[in-house]
Amino acid sequence: MIHVLFAPPMAAWRARLKMRSHFHYVLCLSEAKGMDISMKLEIEDLTKQFQDVTAVDGVSCTLTTGVYGLLGVNGAGKTTLMRMLCTLLRPTAGRILWDGQDIFALDGAYRRILGYLPQDFGFYPDFTVRDYLHYIASIKGLRPAAARKRTAVLLQQVGLAKVENRKMKKLSGGMKRRVGIAQAMLNDPQILILDEPTAGLDPNERIRFRNLISELAQDRLVLLSTHIVSDIEYIANEILLMKDGRICISGTTEDLTAGMPEQVWLVSVPRSEVVSYTKRYKVSNIKTLHGEARLRILSAEKPAENAVLEEAMLEDVFLHYFGERAGGENAV
Amino acid sequence: MYSCIILEKGPVVKMRYKKRTDFGDGMRQVYFEIKKVFGGTRSRMALLLLMLLMGVTFYFAMSVEYVNEEGETEAGFGAVQKLRAAQKEWSGDLDVEKIGQVIAENRRINETPEGRSEQLKESNIAYGWKQGIAEIRNLLNCSYAEGFREYDYYRADSLSEAEAGSFYHNRIRLLEEWLAGEARDQYSGAEKAYLTGQYESLETPFYYDYRKGWTQLFEYAPTVVMITMLFLGYLVAGIFSNEFAWRADAVFFASCHGRDRAVSAKVWAGVGIVTGIYWIVMLFYSTVVLGYLGADGWNCPVQTEFGDWKCFYHLTVWQKYLLIVIGGYIGCLFMAGLCMLVSARTKSAVLAVMVPFVLIFLPSFLGNLESAAVNKILGLLPDRLLQVGAALGYFDLYTVGGRVIGAVPILLVVYGILAVAVLPVVYRCYVRS
Repeated sequence: MIHVLFAPPMAAWRARLKMRSHFHYVLCLSEAKGMDISMKLEIEDLTKQFQDVTAVDGVSCTLTTGVYGLLGVNGAGKTTLMRMLCTLLRPTAGRILWDGQDIFALDGAYRRILGYLPQDFGFYPDFTVRDYLHYIASIKGLRPAAARKRTAVLLQQVGLAKVENRKMKKLSGGMKRRVGIAQAMLNDPQILILDEPTAGLDPNERIRFRNLISELAQDRLVLLSTHIVSDIEYIANEILLMKDGRICISGTTEDLTAGMPEQVWLVSVPRSEVVSYTKRYKVSNIKTLHGEARLRILSAEKPAENAVLEEAMLEDVFLHYFGERAGGENAV
Repeated sequence: MYSCIILEKGPVVKMRYKKRTDFGDGMRQVYFEIKKVFGGTRSRMALLLLMLLMGVTFYFAMSVEYVNEEGETEAGFGAVQKLRAAQKEWSGDLDVEKIGQVIAENRRINETPEGRSEQLKESNIAYGWKQGIAEIRNLLNCSYAEGFREYDYYRADSLSEAEAGSFYHNRIRLLEEWLAGEARDQYSGAEKAYLTGQYESLETPFYYDYRKGWTQLFEYAPTVVMITMLFLGYLVAGIFSNEFAWRADAVFFASCHGRDRAVSAKVWAGVGIVTGIYWIVMLFYSTVVLGYLGADGWNCPVQTEFGDWKCFYHLTVWQKYLLIVIGGYIGCLFMAGLCMLVSARTKSAVLAVMVPFVLIFLPSFLGNLESAAVNKILGLLPDRLLQVGAALGYFDLYTVGGRVIGAVPILLVVYGILAVAVLPVVYRCYVRS
């Protein structure tokens, strides 16, 4: 009897077949590097309403292998979208398909290939790091022996091997986040969803975390939500800009900057004129130098005689689409 | 990437292998759920407090006094041994001859200078001589009382051996008088006939033996069960809601087994905690009390204890004990199940922990209403399961399918079914969270 969850080409898996017990054979696709596995997460006209509020409004897109950055201000609907992708919320309308099948119909089979780090990552305060990961491994369907091996590998990878016996409640914020990413990776997921993974981390931790995500992102679909532009810029292959529950634009950083209808200008002005410029233009940066200020301005036209054209960055795109709301809490 | 292909030799083999591994994984998840409950300092403190309260209850349950030849009160294990020896002398069938002997012995002691003395010390000496017959003397006071609900401590002192023959008959006569008089409107004809029938069919003479261990065990059993239940309520209240309180629900429900096996593990953990703690407490309590005071008298009818003299159930002491512990377990399981249901539904441990308090203490307030209809309902509330010993003494009768039946069997069956039935409801409720 053959039970196939996600069937790869026969020749490929036969070559990597391993005997687990006398009657039980397992093929781990993660070991089959280079195998052509088509992974496709299709979001079709997805809508989620909470009474009068439409948190996600007719979102449609297709995600395959790679790192996707979901960028938007607070309240844009990022978390709601991600919670639907994790089967935590049922959509009011629309469908989410994994390789053509509805993820809610796939149920546990879909969650088996899912890794999720929620924005508000909670844990069991009195569990040690190791116990916590072993528990999550067990509810993710890993056998104890596999869980032990995987936990050891991930603890090394996230740099927490030395604190594996420390209680979760005694970890620092950064350490907790790293445990969070480790738990998301326990089942070696094909889909990794990270909701604001760097929120609240200090600059060092953030850099470390970004690198870790990049390292873990190979050969899987990673959807990373944040309102911190620099995080996305560093690690995402493709960016989805979300505003008022909709994906307003998507593409690579280059696509987005190139497609921006405004240009970026660098202007040096007396400090007394700064207020006047901020009222007339979208100013993405103000730097004060020896009595004068250097402004980074988004404008379709040259804002001043001495304005110099600059190369646009993702932050400028963010400012263009989100305007003043882009300067909301925690944004960088 | 954990998608995998599993090849099996045949369906039978697969089923066997899968069952074994699934069971192992399930047990592991139950273990972690239990660890979540007991991992916290508060739970450990609660357990410590439970042990402390149990210690105090055990102390009172084991406190037995014996008045020696000098009229001085003795306590401790020596006192237990002496009381046991004194009462053992009167063990055997309580037939007319034995009743006559007890009446004669009681009169003999009363007629001694110590028995007639009003001096405290001498009265105590006389009381000390009566300790061997004290329990039987209490039964005489019940049997020869003026009315069914009367009790006169000195009634035995006015009896003669000639009256010994009516010892068992009095029990039936007083019931009939009560049913025809004071309780005329409280019971239907069928119920009255049932009660009389139960009294008449009780096998006599009673076998009597020293049974202080059981008496003390039964007296404090409701306290032990209720305290245990309140602590169990506290422990299981957070099993479901704490996932939300700790904000761990997102990872939990987004995991492969987050909406099936992991939820089952929570339910089983709750059942495991209730079962484990309840039986540990009850067996420890029983072992300590009976080990200290003795388990003699296990085969006596419950009516040999003056508190159960009027009991209409035909039970031995051992059977009453079984009903108390099984009833207590069913009650705890049912209340804990409700507690978990509230926890799963409301996601609030505070509301959940209130469930046992409400179920235990609300009937006490309603009991003051003194309405026959209310009493009928109260007789079937789950708090009765925590005090089956007392419930056996209540005249709560119900007609089921044309048959009159006491409350205790109904409680055991109905709540036994409900305790099991509530578990899948808890599961479904949480899975849909």
